[in-house]
Amino acid sequence: MTVKLLLKYSPVALDKPILAQVIRQTSAEINILHAELNATKGEILIGVEAPPVEIEKLIHLLKKNGIDAKKLERAVELDENSCLDCGACISLCPTGALRLEKDYSVKLDEDKCILCEVCVPACPVRAIKVTRL
Amino acid sequence: MVTKTYEEINQRIRDGDAVVVTAEELVEIVRERGVEKAAKEVDVVTTGTFGAMCSSGAFLNFGHADPPIKLGGGEIYLNDVPAYSGLAAVDTYIGATAISTKKGIEYGGGHVIEDLVRGKEIVLKGKGYGTDCYPRREIETTLTINDINQAILVSPRNIYQRYVAATNSKNETLYTYMGTLLPNYGNVNFSGAGVLSPLHKDPNYETIGIGTRIFIGGAQGYIIGQGTQHAPGKAMGTAMVLGDLKKMDPKYVRGCTIHRYGTSVYLGIGIPIPLINERVAKTAALGEDEIKTNLLDYGVARRDRPILREVTYKELRSGTIEISGKEVPVSPLSSFKDAREIAAKLKKLIEKGEFLLNTPAELLPRDTVFKPMKHVAAVPVIKEIMTKPVITGLPDEPISHAAKIFAEKNFDHLPIADKTGKLVGIVTSWDVAIALSTKKKKLSEIMTKKVITASENDPVDAVARKLEQHGISGVPVVDAKGLVSGIITSEDISKLIGRRTR
Repeated sequence: MTVKLLLKYSPVALDKPILAQVIRQTSAEINILHAELNATKGEILIGVEAPPVEIEKLIHLLKKNGIDAKKLERAVELDENSCLDCGACISLCPTGALRLEKDYSVKLDEDKCILCEVCVPACPVRAIKVTRL
Repeated sequence: MVTKTYEEINQRIRDGDAVVVTAEELVEIVRERGVEKAAKEVDVVTTGTFGAMCSSGAFLNFGHADPPIKLGGGEIYLNDVPAYSGLAAVDTYIGATAISTKKGIEYGGGHVIEDLVRGKEIVLKGKGYGTDCYPRREIETTLTINDINQAILVSPRNIYQRYVAATNSKNETLYTYMGTLLPNYGNVNFSGAGVLSPLHKDPNYETIGIGTRIFIGGAQGYIIGQGTQHAPGKAMGTAMVLGDLKKMDPKYVRGCTIHRYGTSVYLGIGIPIPLINERVAKTAALGEDEIKTNLLDYGVARRDRPILREVTYKELRSGTIEISGKEVPVSPLSSFKDAREIAAKLKKLIEKGEFLLNTPAELLPRDTVFKPMKHVAAVPVIKEIMTKPVITGLPDEPISHAAKIFAEKNFDHLPIADKTGKLVGIVTSWDVAIALSTKKKKLSEIMTKKVITASENDPVDAVARKLEQHGISGVPVVDAKGLVSGIITSEDISKLIGRRTR
């Protein structure tokens, strides 16, 4: 199963090639799901396919280099039976994980979700649920 | 000029020969073949919308208990949601925005209506004051829609012709009936079905009137008059509608909670528009690039919110719009997918001969206007009661400077501004007291940097609400340029209320 890690960069960590170094030191397969970086802060959401030991090692290496790495232990779900396809959630989603399809139905791309939960109370019929894994 | 009568169109529907298209399809037909041909060839255009409609509700009749109770003049609760008790003994009206006494806005009248349509059990609790003919004083029972005599949706105002789009210029998130509005023009929300919007497809009200048969909540119902706030001159027409809840489909009747605002109900409604002449064909074929609305700033808590600019439904539908050089994401609040589905369903019903058109007994008026409420007294705005000029501190000044001002002037708040007068923080007497136990020296070290502010033209009530929400006793007032122009405290507001009640 893919484990999601949210990496928060401190300003000092921003100008070093930390992610590249860390990847070379582990066997973990890393997929960048979402990234937001600027001069003062950075956040990267990665999906990792690896045995638990490797994931712990990865987190340890990242932390050692000044990156706050946190495992996201929740899952988000859109109940399509209940969803009205109104779209109230769309403009609130910071990563485009919630979007309108060509046929104007609302779709959730779980990989892109950073679990900020802004959409959860904004859904008029409570169709978006976040559960602890 | 092509003209058709309702009888001619109905005969073609009965014969299975009627040409029925959705409003979206008509746009293409008119673009390809022109208005005259379209008016000749097409008989009926179907529309649809599925959005939150707050002025909705249903009349219910429970039948009599034994011994009987007079709920009229007493109290009525359905699943703990209060219903109207100003009618006869066992009649009530449940409104969509009534909220649960137990769950607040998580459950309201809109949810009760949905649960009735779903056939779920509803708990009725009622009180009467007891009369010779209605001796009983209390009742508690459960019932479903099948147990009650009538359950008729009668909404005083549904299907707005179009609605405004909303955004927020303030630096804090707003929770409105137009949904969650992110700070600093962070998003735009709009409502309405645009190209499929029922009333906007006959904006001259040539075919829509009392008795027009409509698709409502999955059943057939009627328009029973102009809706409240009907303002066709501003393309903001509305309709009063009626439909039998017992025949409705819960897919098109959904209770909802608008975050930190209230409850409402999403209703699916479609109106068939007979192309009785070319003029009607022309308006029914209006495209989303031709249907405009205003983008308003909900950051200003006034009745007349500033218009940022005019936008088309086409722009809104594209997913982003530009506000002063920035691409802003847009959310629809009503489902275009379901609006399409409703227009398609209505089309099929007419094609199959299961839905005939009614000639209206009277068309909806074209000349009504929506007047504002008559006020006995005007609500003052902040600049009328704020303290000005205001004493401010500089970030580099010592903490003792603030302590001195607080002691001399009997203040509790010192806004901190830079040399240009721009607000950068605030220090309260409490911050100074706490600073005594630390080694901090400068005001910049103890000031709160994320300052909650008021604008000069904010109504006093809006600022009073802000103070209460944040648990604070005063806020600096900033002008349009972000410069500190005054300060307002809970004391100023108390004094004003004192004057008002005298």
